[in-house]
Amino acid sequence: MAPPSSSDSSSDHLPEALLKTLGLAVLERVGTGDTFRLIGNPPLWWATTFKTSPESPIAVGPLAPFLQHFLDESETAWRDNHDRVVRSGPWSHRDLTSILHQFEATALTASHRALLLIERIDERFDSIQQLLQQARDQRLHHIDQVKTHERTQTSLTGSLAIATQERDDLLALLQHLDLAAIVTNQEGRVTFASPRCLAWIECPSTTVIGQPWEQSLPIDSADRKQLRQAWKAAVPQRSRHSIRFAGTTPRWIDYEIHEDPQSSERRIILLHDRTEVHHLRQQLNHQMQFHDLVGRSPAMLQIYQLVRDVARVDSTVLIEGETGTGKELIARAIHYSSPRKDRPFIAANCAGLTDSLLGSQLFGHKRGAFTGAIDDHHGLFESADGGTLFLDEIGDIPTSVQTSLLRVLQEKEITRLGETHPRKVNVRILAATHHNLNEDVIRGTFRADLLYRIRVARIHLPPLRDRRDDIPLLVQALLGQVCATTGKAITDLHPDGLRLLMTYAWPGNVRELKSAVEFAVISARTACLMPSDFPEELHRTRRDDLPPASQESQHAEPKAQLLQALQQAQGNRTEAAKILGISRATLYRRLLAHHIDVAE
Amino acid sequence: MIQKKICLLGGFAVGKTSLVRRFVTGMFSELYQTTIGVTIEKKTLLVGDQDVTLMIWDLYGKDDFQNMRESYLRGSSGYILVADGMRRSTLDTAEALHQLAQSTLGPVPFVLIVNKADQLKEWEIDEATLARLRHKGWLVFTGSAKTGDGVPELFVQLAQKLLEAA
Repeated sequence: MAPPSSSDSSSDHLPEALLKTLGLAVLERVGTGDTFRLIGNPPLWWATTFKTSPESPIAVGPLAPFLQHFLDESETAWRDNHDRVVRSGPWSHRDLTSILHQFEATALTASHRALLLIERIDERFDSIQQLLQQARDQRLHHIDQVKTHERTQTSLTGSLAIATQERDDLLALLQHLDLAAIVTNQEGRVTFASPRCLAWIECPSTTVIGQPWEQSLPIDSADRKQLRQAWKAAVPQRSRHSIRFAGTTPRWIDYEIHEDPQSSERRIILLHDRTEVHHLRQQLNHQMQFHDLVGRSPAMLQIYQLVRDVARVDSTVLIEGETGTGKELIARAIHYSSPRKDRPFIAANCAGLTDSLLGSQLFGHKRGAFTGAIDDHHGLFESADGGTLFLDEIGDIPTSVQTSLLRVLQEKEITRLGETHPRKVNVRILAATHHNLNEDVIRGTFRADLLYRIRVARIHLPPLRDRRDDIPLLVQALLGQVCATTGKAITDLHPDGLRLLMTYAWPGNVRELKSAVEFAVISARTACLMPSDFPEELHRTRRDDLPPASQESQHAEPKAQLLQALQQAQGNRTEAAKILGISRATLYRRLLAHHIDVAE
Repeated sequence: MIQKKICLLGGFAVGKTSLVRRFVTGMFSELYQTTIGVTIEKKTLLVGDQDVTLMIWDLYGKDDFQNMRESYLRGSSGYILVADGMRRSTLDTAEALHQLAQSTLGPVPFVLIVNKADQLKEWEIDEATLARLRHKGWLVFTGSAKTGDGVPELFVQLAQKLLEAA
């Protein structure tokens, strides 16, 4: 059965209608050259683009330069490979009114006929171009961003390099100047600590940065208070103050606080290590002063060394010297230089006490041991356990106590009065006397075996008249003490005043000198001590007038003088001794010698 | 009259179309419009005493989205490599396209123009790099499609080389 004629008719016209709908111009190659003929009616754009005659064969090459190129490219497909379809890709061409349009050409072989299809693709091209434009715009934008980031990075890297260089230069400068530095923000937290500073405070930067500066420094509360006040005070503070950094290597540090030039609320703390200067100063002070002893005469320097030597051992030491030469100060210096320095130092004066009273005081007693012993009482030996017991005026102790003392030294144990069992004690004995104990031994008033026990080491203190060069230093030190006590501001000593002090014999030694200075300070009307400010006896007695005073005279003061001093001190023995420039023990001894009642 | 086909090769947005437009029409547009496919322009120059018509094939820029069709190069007597002075990577693209052109066309004359000389401060391509290329025998121009600097010289120089090679 034949298909309906209407269908046959529409089939015949289908390709043409299809080409028309697609807007394609179909050309068939005529022969083997560049000549083509249009198949069917060309699309409408053909007539506005190319000048051709529908009936005549068309030379395609001259229509557009690109088509000429495409014909060459398509030749192999038409000639050798009939299955191949060659597509030109988009190309632009101006129409007869110079408007640019987009085209695409396709070369293929169908039914042994070489065909060239030309399509105007304006609409499709626009959408593709739009898409590609977007993609490329985005790519360009991304490139711009990358470039901006790279520039920023380069700029920051450059800035960082400059900042690092400046920081390194600054640190090198600080290093060269032997300076450490801390920078704090407005809240007082550390924002920068130089490597030298970190080394001094023995902390890594991670534990310091961001912390309050006060907590970052290894200083004691007093230094912290001082530093806090300085930090809060108006800056700049160029004056330097000293603080001490604790740590494995303690340091003495001077500090300066400055305002950050770039921010008034930030502070720059500059630290200078002055440890070496401090040590040198300390050494210098040691040359002039040892503990509370003042003097740099060769004799005193020798004594300082002797004190250091005996402090290292635990031997008993006998300190000899006239009254007022500072025997107790030597005993204290030995104790506080010794390993026992953290244990008690107890001084006992053995003069003017009865044997039972002294025995009780030294060894303690049991309740009921004697009349008035209402309670158990431990003695000075027990109180000084682990430390040092200084027995002053040991030459004056009664024989019975000497025996007990000898037992303590031998056995290292004491027995309280009224008890029978001994108690172990660990006490170092330092003894002092103004006596010549050798003579006392010959006279039989002092036990020889006790003398040898206590005189394992001996230090002889020279009288002040034998070290007159120390008088200016002593006066300076005493002036400081007396002014602090009295509240008077004495800043100078008149040369005539010093001459007076240098020529006086000082039978009462340093104690007498101290009394004289105290008297002068009280008497002074100006800031400079004048000769007239000093006590009368200094003017009366010249050095040359005095007898050699290698041994203290037991009757140095007449009875009337002793009584006057007692009256002046309203019976207070300590004050009276001070007035006379002698020790309390010496006063007692002299009162006894003059048969003056010693009862308080 | 002598007619020569030349191609402009380069990465995308380096200014190939702008250079052609500046050369053919003397105009420039700030608006970037990407080229798809091929646009062919024609311009006749007087080189020495000879008129030379250049068929200038402005090819789309090479990037990840469009690859260069070797077939477009066929028949070219020479080519112009275009790079953007502000993007170092476009010089690498130009060098890669040079390799492609050399393998397709053989040793035909070519010139390189580093475009956008009006923004010299932003350039990533330094003089040392250009000196290196010149040392290799490349004819290197710097110029600007925006200002027109170096554009006529670029085409004239290539035309001269084409005549010398002919």
